[in-house]
Amino acid sequence: MSPSADGRPIFVEIADQIADDILVGLYAEETQVPSTTELSVHYRINPATAGKALNRLVDEGIVYKRRGLGMFVVTGAPDALRARRRAAFTDEYVRPFLAEGARLGLTLDEIVELIRKDPS
Amino acid sequence: MTVTESTASRGIELLGVTKSFGSNHVLTDVTAHLPADRIYGLLGANGVGKTTLMSLITNHAFRSSGSILVDGDDPDENAAVRERMCFVREDQKYNDAFSVKDILRVAPAFYPSWASETADRLTERFRLPLTTKSKRLSRGQRSALAIVVTLASRAAYTFLDEPYLGLDASARTIFYEELVAEYAAHPRTVLLSTHLIDEAAPLLEEVLILDQGRIVLQTDIDEASRGSFVVRGRESDVLDFVGGRALLTQRRLGGLLSVTVRGELNNEEHRRADELRLSVEPTSLQEFVAALGIHALDQSAPQNQTEKAP
Repeated sequence: MSPSADGRPIFVEIADQIADDILVGLYAEETQVPSTTELSVHYRINPATAGKALNRLVDEGIVYKRRGLGMFVVTGAPDALRARRRAAFTDEYVRPFLAEGARLGLTLDEIVELIRKDPS
Repeated sequence: MTVTESTASRGIELLGVTKSFGSNHVLTDVTAHLPADRIYGLLGANGVGKTTLMSLITNHAFRSSGSILVDGDDPDENAAVRERMCFVREDQKYNDAFSVKDILRVAPAFYPSWASETADRLTERFRLPLTTKSKRLSRGQRSALAIVVTLASRAAYTFLDEPYLGLDASARTIFYEELVAEYAAHPRTVLLSTHLIDEAAPLLEEVLILDQGRIVLQTDIDEASRGSFVVRGRESDVLDFVGGRALLTQRRLGGLLSVTVRGELNNEEHRRADELRLSVEPTSLQEFVAALGIHALDQSAPQNQTEKAP
């Protein structure tokens, strides 16, 4: 695991990865997520960095600490993540997508048509 | 309370450390505080003094001036402190008659916290030939042996100087895994120098960047990873955009200019870059360290052709 091309720090990348896994249900609500040590050994990253990733998820209300037991997924976390990602969808996906379309001289109608025709 | 005092002074303190060979200053006025139980990256070009700094701290060499304290004691005057440190030099010599097995058998005599289970596991993972004499080991095997000794020493202060010369990608991955696992289970202070900076960056908590014998930056890994960025576009636009900022490197391609700039951009500056159709990209830690090194070389060059041209 290394800093991504967009310059996100490693701890943000790890936090996003865990959030992705929660969003698709790999870690269900009220189940445990990996510990600092497990994350650091798995991703071969400094334990302090792994700890920062988990703290970020705590700050965002996605996981919470059960004293002496570890970190657990908050009930409602997948819905909260979905709502947040939808809010960011325009900035992160639609805008760059339209900007590339504009560079290529595609009209909005042509772009909509391409989306409609896409087999996936 | 003495407990508080000893906790407060745990770590390495360097104050005005200088090392000269005649008129050649290898290290100049190095001052830094390294709190205990963190993994530090010691970064910089060849010859900036990384090995010398490790040698001074571990008392393998003597400083010209300044003071070095490890857990509050000078290693030069305190054998107990020296026992807490492990530094296997990159060109470490062993007794020619010794096999790998012999070296690992005598090691506990030097390192009171020696963990033979770690040594056994690593020897096996690195496929080190136990009966081979030390002088017959390949470059990669010598590096692997040094890693086995340093990690198994469980020394409170562990120094790894270019630990993976001759190691392939698999062996390096094993090293990263074992370092993190050992450190997580038995925290210790690790000072690691390497040129494979981007590979090692995730292992680090803090970095110290040395340049021409001086520490030019000590900061946490996230801060260091945002140390610089590259702006690329039409030359006049780029120069207009970067204004008075300090440029680390400049490269031209036809009418295009690409510059490495120290620091970060705020949202407003990002918008302006978009308007000018400039591309702005973050640099990796390795690119940042390389840019600092190139900048230093250009500064010290007697003539700068580009700037001095009439």
